[in-house]
Amino acid sequence: MIPLSWFLFFAAALFSIGLFGVLARRNAIAILMGIELMLNAVNVNLIAFWSYRTVHNIAAWVFAIIVFAVAAAEVAVGLALFIAVYRRRHTIAADEIDLLKW
Amino acid sequence: MTIELLIWLLPLPPLLAFFLIVLFTHRAKALSHTLAVGAAFLSWLGSMIVFWQAMRTPHLGEHPFVSSLPWLPTGDTWLRIGVQVDPLTAVSLFFVAWTVLMIFLYSVGYHNFGQPAGDDDRPGLPPHGATVIDAHGHKHKVPSIEPMYSRFFAFIGLFAFGMYTLVVSDNLLTLFIGWEIMGLCSYLLIGFWYGKSSARAAMIKAFITTRVGDVFMLLGIAYLYSATGTLNYREILYNEALLAQLAHINSGFLGLSVASLIGILLFIGTIGKSAQWPLHVWLPDAMEGPTPVSAMIHAATMVSAGVYMVVRIFPLLSAGFGHEGGLTPAMMAMAFIGAFTALFAATIAVAQNDIKRVLAYSTISQLGYMIAALGIGAYVAAAFHLITHAFFKALLFLGSGSVIHGMEHGVLHTGEHIDPQNMFNMGGLRKKMPITFWTFLVGGFALSGFPLVTAGFWSKDEILADAFGHGHWAVFITLAAAALLTAFYTMRQITLTFLGEARTHAAEHAQETPWTMTLPLVVLAIFAVGAGWVGIPEHFPLLGGWIPNWFHEFVGGTLLHHPEPVEFSWTPLLTSLSVALGGIVLGWLVYRRLRAGQADPLARPLGGVYTLLKNKYYFDELYDFLFVRPAYWLAASFTYLWMDRKVIDGVLHFFAYLSGVLGNFFRDFIDKPVVNGFGDWVAETTKRFGHSLRALQSGKVQQYMLLALLSLVAFSALFYYLLTFTR
Amino acid sequence: MDFILEHLLTLILFTPVLAAAVVFILPREEENLIRWVSFLLSFIPFALSIALWLQFDASKSGFQFEEKAIWYAAINSSYHVGVDGVSLTMVLLTTLLTPLSILASFTIRDRVKSYMILFFLLEMGMLGVFLSLDLLLFFVFWEFGLVPMYFLINQWGSEKGEREIWGGRKIPARQYASFKFMVYTMAGSLGLLLAIQMLGVVSGTFDMPTLFERWTSLDQSLFGLPISTVKSIAFWAFAIAFALKVPVWPFHTWLPDAHTEAPTAGSMILAGVLLKLGAYGFLRLVLPLYPVEAHLYAGALGFLAVMAIIFGALASYGQDDFKRLVAYSSVNHMGFVVLGIAAAGFAAGTENAIIALNGAVLQMFNHGLSAAGMFFLVGVIYERAHTRNLNDFGGLFPLIPVYGGVLIFTSMASLGLPGLGGFVSEFLVVRGVWPIFTLYTALAMIGLFFTGAYVLKAIKQVLHGPLNERWTGHISEINARELFVIAPLMVLMLWIGVWPAWILEVINRAVSMLF
Repeated sequence: MIPLSWFLFFAAALFSIGLFGVLARRNAIAILMGIELMLNAVNVNLIAFWSYRTVHNIAAWVFAIIVFAVAAAEVAVGLALFIAVYRRRHTIAADEIDLLKW
Repeated sequence: MTIELLIWLLPLPPLLAFFLIVLFTHRAKALSHTLAVGAAFLSWLGSMIVFWQAMRTPHLGEHPFVSSLPWLPTGDTWLRIGVQVDPLTAVSLFFVAWTVLMIFLYSVGYHNFGQPAGDDDRPGLPPHGATVIDAHGHKHKVPSIEPMYSRFFAFIGLFAFGMYTLVVSDNLLTLFIGWEIMGLCSYLLIGFWYGKSSARAAMIKAFITTRVGDVFMLLGIAYLYSATGTLNYREILYNEALLAQLAHINSGFLGLSVASLIGILLFIGTIGKSAQWPLHVWLPDAMEGPTPVSAMIHAATMVSAGVYMVVRIFPLLSAGFGHEGGLTPAMMAMAFIGAFTALFAATIAVAQNDIKRVLAYSTISQLGYMIAALGIGAYVAAAFHLITHAFFKALLFLGSGSVIHGMEHGVLHTGEHIDPQNMFNMGGLRKKMPITFWTFLVGGFALSGFPLVTAGFWSKDEILADAFGHGHWAVFITLAAAALLTAFYTMRQITLTFLGEARTHAAEHAQETPWTMTLPLVVLAIFAVGAGWVGIPEHFPLLGGWIPNWFHEFVGGTLLHHPEPVEFSWTPLLTSLSVALGGIVLGWLVYRRLRAGQADPLARPLGGVYTLLKNKYYFDELYDFLFVRPAYWLAASFTYLWMDRKVIDGVLHFFAYLSGVLGNFFRDFIDKPVVNGFGDWVAETTKRFGHSLRALQSGKVQQYMLLALLSLVAFSALFYYLLTFTR
Repeated sequence: MDFILEHLLTLILFTPVLAAAVVFILPREEENLIRWVSFLLSFIPFALSIALWLQFDASKSGFQFEEKAIWYAAINSSYHVGVDGVSLTMVLLTTLLTPLSILASFTIRDRVKSYMILFFLLEMGMLGVFLSLDLLLFFVFWEFGLVPMYFLINQWGSEKGEREIWGGRKIPARQYASFKFMVYTMAGSLGLLLAIQMLGVVSGTFDMPTLFERWTSLDQSLFGLPISTVKSIAFWAFAIAFALKVPVWPFHTWLPDAHTEAPTAGSMILAGVLLKLGAYGFLRLVLPLYPVEAHLYAGALGFLAVMAIIFGALASYGQDDFKRLVAYSSVNHMGFVVLGIAAAGFAAGTENAIIALNGAVLQMFNHGLSAAGMFFLVGVIYERAHTRNLNDFGGLFPLIPVYGGVLIFTSMASLGLPGLGGFVSEFLVVRGVWPIFTLYTALAMIGLFFTGAYVLKAIKQVLHGPLNERWTGHISEINARELFVIAPLMVLMLWIGVWPAWILEVINRAVSMLF
């Protein structure tokens, strides 16, 4: 049986990759993808803990499904925003979209 | 209709005429004067009936016609007002009714009724004449009708109402009401031609000067009312106990008794109204009014009202007086002021050139006679002179108006620029205006006291006889001197106006006036002669006893104690004969040869005195300096500008300023630095802090995230440290 | 019908508010509609007052048509209204002058709606003072009347002129006047409010009839002070508040300013009714509440009244501004009212006192008529000539004979010509005061004399003299609407002058029973 820690390491790695993508990439779509990775790392954790600890409780499944839904919605909204931004400013580089600064 | 109701109704027709004219008929000239004259006629008719009834009633003095009704509630009681006809009222009614009717009728002619409207006449100025073109195409300038014709009749209607009210009232309050209404009307009528600035000044002068007297009179009435609880003549004047009591209580003012103080206060009202010195200044100026007004104010009604009032309250004035006990203070004041005024005004009259002004001063002088007579206790003589004077002075005024009218006709005809009222521009008018001349002569002789025939002789003689008989030498001599001057200036007037030759072209072309003006002259002339015959003393040589001394019997009955007729004596009779005839002859001698352009023959011999007299002893200037200017200064500069604006408002503004200063202090030293300062400091600090942090706000999403991550790491480390190592 | 009779006073008091509400819902642009509706509605309180007058039984003592309802239970203050002969005449005067003033305001073109609403509120405030039988209620209405008047002067007052104040600053005259009016009266009311609270706390009630008994019979010391001291202080607090409003010299300088700057109708009401509030306060509160102090200080009050009479007349004579001249005449005339009251305070219960009070109350009514009339006539000429300077007029009589006649009539009423109202009241005051304050009466005659001087000055400058050609064709005759305003006043002046008993009997009985 694979020990739980393997799953956790995997999830941590996945999260870190995602985090790195979010923080380091300039392309907004890549940032969005990084976010997806981080969300899925969470999902991996959820399912792993379910299978090793609380098999009889389906809360983890429910959360995982909600995270899917949120992720999907987020991508939808995010992409729409990026398209709108792109139309106006002809770029989707994150460090160039700095309208919110003081 | 009972006699009492009739008496109530007497004053009303003229009042009704006033309202009807003012409200409805002021555009219709003929209707207006019909109303006014008709009203005067109705009142005249009523007065004659009342007079007739009064004559036939025996002991009218004890049982007069009275009627009253409650007027003012005062606590639990009422002040009643009403009417009363006793002998004094009856004879007053007689002369008032006659003169008023005559003056009303005269006004129709005087204001040129029936003449065309003037070319450029405007309301407020006397008519200047109209140009008419006759059948042959010649242009003539003729007198034009008064532009405010109806208004004149309305005013004199109200005036007549005032006089009738005054005469028939049974108490001092309604007397005062009539008195003041006449004051208003005299104001309006003197200033009838208000476009002239002299008329404007005269109207105000008349009202204000008489008001000085009126306020004192009001005080007197208030005092009398509080002292006795009533204002009714009979309740006060016929109550010997009350009068004696009033005469004994000390008022606490200069040691005068209550009766004397009240008497003097009321008498000051008379001084104003009857133009006695020192309040005489208004009356000569009042000549600015149309002549019927002068006649009305100066003869028939208003100035007589003053004398009527003191005659009326004589028992009060003389409370405590018997011929042996000496005069009361009030009577002394009257004797002094009356005698002084009689002489004083007569001297001024000598040097006046305006035909009406001479008469004005003569009026003042004659009123002084009456006051002096009353002051020495000659009750009947004063009343007698009041009535004869009213007739002959009305006659003289109307006559002078007729002269002026005739002269104006001449002035219009010739186009000369002369003053039609100046006697030095006249002369020889007896041929042009015979009726006016003869009636004026009658009036003038009555005024001079021409012996035996004229009314003025009998009344004046009675006053002199009384003064002599009771040993009032000073009064006797003063009045005799005044009588001499009176005869002199009257004859001067007659000579200058009617005798000799015409001194101007206007006088040559003067014309007799219409019948509406001459008829009143004739009627009044009859009374100027006849009114004297009812009062011939019983012991008069030859004539005495032929006609009973009706006047003395009748009017004397007004008093509680019938006054004794004065003993006959030759001295006063000879005096009055000599002063009257002497004055007349002297006047004729001095003025009969006056030529056109020549100065007054008196001017040279009298020198500075003449100038003094001509300028009326400079009383106008003196009063202007002493009272008028200081009063205006007191009002405008002292009270308003200095006291109200500077001091009181200054104090207020100072308070406002002080509040401002206090407010600024709180603002500058407490509110601004402390309260506001703290709030501002908090805000400023927050702002500065935020400012220093704003570099963090780069707008770059990834930096925020990194920061969030780092913060997370840092906080995690911190918590880990805290939880792990500080347990 | 019974309902109306039972609640007559409440109806009179609050119908003006209803009228204001009706005007409020009318459209702003329909100015003529607003004017006519206001005019007609203002007759309702008047008609009710007439009914009140007819139903009033003068022979009964005490207050009539009383209504009482708990208003402020915690401090024992109630809505208590009632009338006696004195307040009845004042109510009649107020409700009579309001329709006339509204009719006189038909020439107002600016914000007609607000103007009319303020006017109705003003009427309610004044009526409230006359009708209240509760001290607190009295005070509320007393202060309430200030507000509409302030706005009437401040917003609709004359637009010309400015006043220099301390420090050389200049402010617009109407702002100055309204501010002075407001602050001055408020300053006086301060002491009044404190005294009223003290009375209420000490006596445990604000009900006037109860207070008249409890407060006067109080004889223990208060707040560590002897009762006489406390009462004296309270007396002066009351007296100064009312003296400011009358106004008595030397507190009078707000009046000429306020009158001069107020719109015509505002001046009419101000002179006609507002000044009477002060005198009414003396009659209703000071004399019954402080009989001892009134006797003690009557001399001082009488002195101030005489000064008002003399200096009011003098200042009036010194004016070149027609309206200010009339304004100062109010100081002069109201002086007689206070003089009568002071004398009555000194010798309460005597016949002289009753006569003096008869005169004072009647003088209040008469002055209401004549002053309102005079201010209206000044307004009429001002609307045509746009100047109030007497030196600019001259010889207008031929141009406007009817106006001239009306002006002379009204001035003569104001002067106190016998046969018109003013004389009767002035005579009664002089008669009543003479035995009590002889010297004061004699001195007051100086004022009476100058009354003649200033009235004649005004007539001379406006009507008489050579015609000032500048006005030919520019000044038109008084019109029908204006005649309708002045005619009732003239009729009343004449009526009271000729037959004063109809109103004086009501006053006389009330005064006899009160004091």
